[in-house]
Amino acid sequence: MNADFLRGHLEGLLLAVLVDEPGHGYALSQRLAVRSGGDLAVPEGSLYPALQRLERRGLVTSAWEAVDGRRRRVYHLSRAGRREAVVAARDWKQFAAAVDQVLGAIA
Amino acid sequence: MSPVEQYLRELDGALHVRGRARRRLLAECADHLADASADHGQAQAVARFGAAAELARAFDTEIAVRRGIRATPAMIVGVLAVGGSTLALLHAAAPHASAVLAWAVIFFGCAQASAVCALLAALRAAGMRTRPATPADVALLCRRNGCALAFALLTLLAAGGALPGHGSAVQLLLGPAAAVPAMVLVLRTRSLARKLDAYGQRTVRAPWADLRAVVHLPAGAARRLDPSNPTVLLAVGATVAAAAAFVWGHLDDHGNLASALAAAGTETALTVLGFLLLGPALGLWSARTPRRGSVRA
Repeated sequence: MNADFLRGHLEGLLLAVLVDEPGHGYALSQRLAVRSGGDLAVPEGSLYPALQRLERRGLVTSAWEAVDGRRRRVYHLSRAGRREAVVAARDWKQFAAAVDQVLGAIA
Repeated sequence: MSPVEQYLRELDGALHVRGRARRRLLAECADHLADASADHGQAQAVARFGAAAELARAFDTEIAVRRGIRATPAMIVGVLAVGGSTLALLHAAAPHASAVLAWAVIFFGCAQASAVCALLAALRAAGMRTRPATPADVALLCRRNGCALAFALLTLLAAGGALPGHGSAVQLLLGPAAAVPAMVLVLRTRSLARKLDAYGQRTVRAPWADLRAVVHLPAGAARRLDPSNPTVLLAVGATVAAAAAFVWGHLDDHGNLASALAAAGTETALTVLGFLLLGPALGLWSARTPRRGSVRA
């Protein structure tokens, strides 16, 4: 899928893959790939500025933690982030339904 | 040198940010690439990670936005501290001293300009906190922060020129001392933003566009307040300033209508002059025809 198309939704996608459990950057990129069946091919490096933006907005927090015997920066969803994830999911459903009504008519 | 080492070296060279933020990003990227290399091989891991220059620019922009927002509370503290020193200076003025008119005009003009710049900066910072921002947005925020501090210091200087007296050195210097760290933060952020925006692109950001990020404006009002129309902004600003000056003059001069009207007229003229002179730098209107890539909100 086009990376430019995904860029506007990257923050919502990151919140979604953090809802169940915290994770470091690579784990989050893997979750995105697995959940999308490999269709969401965003440059993995772009996750880090996006995670920083989410931190600035107070939607995630991060800390260096030991993971599998290695020190990793692990991201946690904040309470505000959990609320934002629900809003992002709702907004996406409305948007997708509206686009589907227009584009879906072609098929 | 392995592909991962080469990539990290390229990223290190492309980043403008220094210090802890830079070390943290490089450490995280190294960890990520190590994991990805174990799963897919180094060449594939680097290819999937994306261009180093693009990542560096996105990261530098994010850090610049963050620093710009953080500099704003420091600016407010600095402006308030300088304001405190100014009040201490006025309090220490010789009794019955009369101010030189030119200094008095500079004093009132700069005090109001400082307050307006501080308010515009606070609104811009609030707007940027929740929305994506560009290096040009950061540069604008820095100009608003810097102007607020500079006008606060000019106000202090004008107060000293208008009403000479004998004040406590500690009280007088405390304000400027508090303004210095804020100015350093602002200049540091501006330097980073300029590195990211080599063309010095100017943005126009009307205060209502940022106000919408802070308070919920009714849809009808939001539509009427066209952010791309600076005339509306000037009309609203001049009316509010004139009304405030009229009320203040009326109360201060025991209901003298003529002096209240004179105060309102002077205030209106100062507002229009300030808007014309400072408007482009503060992102309120653009003197140039919008070129391709210029941003309006």
